[in-house]
Amino acid sequence: MTDTPPDGESPDIDSCVRIGSIVSSNSHLDYVVEVYKERDCDRPPELHEREFGQPVFIKKTVNGTEHAVIGVIYDTQLVDPDQGRTGPRLAQDDQAQFTPGYIEERTTLAGVALLGTAEIAEDGAVQEPTHQMPRWTLEVEDTVFHCPDQVTVSFHTIDEQIQLAYMDRLLDIAGDLGSEVIVALIDRLRGVLPEDDPNHRVLDVVEQNVQWQAREQRGLV
Amino acid sequence: MADRSNVVGTVAGPGDDPNEFVFVTPSDKSIKTGEFITYTVSVEGEPRSVFARVTNRELIRGLPEGFLADPEVGPETVAATLGVPTDDTELYQLTATVIGYYDTNMTTFANPRQLPDPGTPLSIAPHQQLETVLPNLGCETDSTDITTLDGVAHIGWLLNRPAEATNLHIPIEEFASTHLAILASTGSGKSYTASVLIEEMMRPSSRASLLVFDPHGEYDTLAEMQGEEAFQGEDGYEPEIEYYDPERLRVRISELEIGDVMAILDNPSNRMQERLSTAWQAMQRQESRTWGIDELIGEMERIYGDDDASVGALEWRLRRSIERNDLFHPEENVPLDEIVDPGQCTVLQMDTLDRRDQQLITTVLLRRMYRERLDDVRDRDSDIEHPIFALFEEGHRFAPASGEAPSLGIMRTITSEGRKFGFGLGIISQRPSKIDQDVLSQCGTQISMQIKNPNDQDAIKNSVEAAGEDVLRELPGLTPGQAVVSGDAMNTPALIQVRQRRTPHGAGSRPVIEEWREAYDERQREPTQSESADFGEGDSTGVQSLD
Ligand SMILES: Nc1ncnc2c1ncn2[C@@H]1O[C@H](COP(=O)(O)OP(=O)(O)OP(=O)(O)O)[C@@H](O)[C@H]1O
Ligand SMILES: [Mg+2]
Repeated sequence: MTDTPPDGESPDIDSCVRIGSIVSSNSHLDYVVEVYKERDCDRPPELHEREFGQPVFIKKTVNGTEHAVIGVIYDTQLVDPDQGRTGPRLAQDDQAQFTPGYIEERTTLAGVALLGTAEIAEDGAVQEPTHQMPRWTLEVEDTVFHCPDQVTVSFHTIDEQIQLAYMDRLLDIAGDLGSEVIVALIDRLRGVLPEDDPNHRVLDVVEQNVQWQAREQRGLV
Repeated sequence: MADRSNVVGTVAGPGDDPNEFVFVTPSDKSIKTGEFITYTVSVEGEPRSVFARVTNRELIRGLPEGFLADPEVGPETVAATLGVPTDDTELYQLTATVIGYYDTNMTTFANPRQLPDPGTPLSIAPHQQLETVLPNLGCETDSTDITTLDGVAHIGWLLNRPAEATNLHIPIEEFASTHLAILASTGSGKSYTASVLIEEMMRPSSRASLLVFDPHGEYDTLAEMQGEEAFQGEDGYEPEIEYYDPERLRVRISELEIGDVMAILDNPSNRMQERLSTAWQAMQRQESRTWGIDELIGEMERIYGDDDASVGALEWRLRRSIERNDLFHPEENVPLDEIVDPGQCTVLQMDTLDRRDQQLITTVLLRRMYRERLDDVRDRDSDIEHPIFALFEEGHRFAPASGEAPSLGIMRTITSEGRKFGFGLGIISQRPSKIDQDVLSQCGTQISMQIKNPNDQDAIKNSVEAAGEDVLRELPGLTPGQAVVSGDAMNTPALIQVRQRRTPHGAGSRPVIEEWREAYDERQREPTQSESADFGEGDSTGVQSLD
């Protein structure tokens, strides 16, 4: 979280680190991103900038307004084309998710689940966030940006309250790691919110619920 | 079925019991347990409104309990955070037991023996219909204006409905002839409810002949019925309220039976018992009904000789227990024609008598009245030529389960036979488990109010067959003035709020603090007086009657 801007100021959405580009999708809300390496750009993302649970965004101009389609890295996968050359499947056979196509060279893939959208204002700040399902389709080779924590908080603040209204869709896409992504998102939000923010307690309850449900599903309790 | 505007729920399917079905309602149609609902079925080609009682209510869809983890975070906040809408989320599944449709020929409920089909719309039963069919009024339609009926007692209204929305009028004749029990823990409203019924029975449309055996002086305010317009008849009728204080309560000695005398005497030996019985029977065979202890002892001496030791011991006991007790008298008796009359309510104030004396005066009065009623019904000369109803506070004192009361025998006789002779009893008690089971189970109508003690709850369950399990479950949670009415006066039990009295209530708790302060001030004014405070005759207080 190196690029947290000075307090109070919205970060400039245009100067965000590029994480990679889209190579394929598994569904309308589930994309595969090839992470940039040295050769692909001036400043490839550092490891912590493309970690599990990292929010990302893709810029889209719709009807003349610039939007950010927000997503989160919910899975990663290493691909070595020399090994078997069959196009690996990360997920189990009965789960048709995250199955990238054929890839030329050794590379890191990230699974990105879309969470919602927001408008990008003139000054580069995000506004009017919504957690409704994004209706637009992304394109192959669309650039995926690292989403700074301040933007993450803006995206999650609706009606002056922290919201994660995409939760059921995210749990569905992220499958086995669903609760972990949500906990990672919640941790990130907690780290940015002021200590006395009343949303902390709400996030605690949400986190408890998600973790409990996951434990139940995994047969632990 | 096009109009579903008054539909509150939809049948989902059969329940566990053969008479049960389950239905589903959204949260805004809040239906409480105990509510009466109806649906229409076709019985022999005719559409009938079937009534059912809601017995259980369960949330089947609502916010997960996990949302309640932090008491300072409202579940709707958590829901909003997750984008879960909170309006109309809740769905309730309710269980209902079929009561039946009102059979106008039988004037009671008949079971259609057929549960509603899934999807059947359910409505809240209309007020007037319930007013007609819940009590046993014998109406010939299932919707009558019951306020026009005579001989009904407006006791209150259905608890689940707004005040005075669905009123319950019970048939006085029913509970007055097949006996009544009012059972509840102390302070739950027994005396209050009894007073409401007395008020109803004394109205011009009924003009009852009532007798209240009042060991605590709780009925002092009934006299205020006099002069109240509600109690005046067009023909000039007005209820007569007669108070009988202990000064006027007398038992003529010859009215006592040998068993009564034994109960009064301290541990008489076998020999004494035998002598006393022989002499007592001899006295009873005499023409004169006005003999005293002197004559009785004279008789014993005649039979057993002047210097018989047992007779001497008996004489001492008899003089102490009977002769020196003002209650007993060789000649005087409570004149029955003074205490029973139509349109008259007589309150026998027994608060200064000890328990034994209360039992004895009761025993003797009940016996005499029962005899008169018997004579009347059998066309013999009688002092009481109309039905009577007698109400007992502390009923367990007069008909105890332990059997130790001279009055128990006559109480049993009246509760089992009294109906034929127009003699009804009302038993009021805070300890149903301490009442003789024969007496309690003969009380055809029951008004049960808050009862927490499990033994007492069991006693009600065992003796009150009419009140179903689901209604009895309510008893521990009732508050003062709330009651379950069941039995002969009802076609099905109902949970009600007892109405307010027209006369003030005289049996509230004592203002303890005020009385302490007054007593203290009193003391300060008279520093020399050293007599201890008089807390009354120990035996006549409610506390001791608990066992
Ligand atoms: N239907 C009612 N409406 C209003 N108040 C009521 C009603 N019933 C009872 N109360 C209140 O409850 C109090 C207690 O009632 P009541 O004296 O009848 O109790 P109880 O059961 O006879 O008690 P105890 O066993 O001590 O004689 C009354 O003083 C009155 O204030
Ligand atoms: Mg009382």
